[in-house]
Amino acid sequence: MKKTIVLLIACSFSAAAFGAASEPLEKIKEKAKTCAACHGEDGNATANGMYPRLAGQYHDYLAQALHEYKSGERKNAIMAGFVSTLTEAEIQGLSDYYGAMPGKLDDLAHHEQGSD
Amino acid sequence: MTKALFARVLPLAALLYATAPYAAEPTSSQPASTQTASSETARGDAKAGRALVYTCGGCHGVPGYENAYPHYHVPRIAGQNHDYLVAALTAYKKGERAHPTMRAQGESLSEQDIANIAAYLSSLTP
Repeated sequence: MKKTIVLLIACSFSAAAFGAASEPLEKIKEKAKTCAACHGEDGNATANGMYPRLAGQYHDYLAQALHEYKSGERKNAIMAGFVSTLTEAEIQGLSDYYGAMPGKLDDLAHHEQGSD
Repeated sequence: MTKALFARVLPLAALLYATAPYAAEPTSSQPASTQTASSETARGDAKAGRALVYTCGGCHGVPGYENAYPHYHVPRIAGQNHDYLVAALTAYKKGERAHPTMRAQGESLSEQDIANIAAYLSSLTP
């Protein structure tokens, strides 16, 4: 009985976790076309240095940034407009999509002071 | 023809870029999105930036290091684009971005420091 309850609780947690990020990849790719105009199709934003590279960034940082644009904590008229059209599942999906792309971004650990 | 035009326009453009930060000091009444970063203007010194970036390594130098409350990974900043880095650090400096630690860091940096840091970080490749 106890085991069943534990199992039920575990299932409900995992269901909640997957529920937020269940957008089909095709739908995310379609949404990403908007992002590509500034951030590049490969997420590497090389055309204009004003736009950040997204490829290879931590997915949860990307989601955090999108949430901050949505709440207005981070102010950027362009991003606020785009993010207002996104659902939570789409924010998670786009963050995962760009976070998984290969890119130039790196942790500073590999670039200690005095080395390149 | 095009080359000749470029030759005439380029020095002028360079001069404009060089003087832009002084001419177009953004006022507080401007929304953040319309402000352009000092960008090409005060191209920083990557060597000086390398020394300044020592501080950043405390959080951005630890792979997988996580921010607490809310919980997310501290972003990868090595190899990020120059102008975006300038814009982000300037926003922290002015209090337009809220992260407390980054605001404190931004406040301690001069515009030249920010340019130097952006020059160094954007020069890095994995």
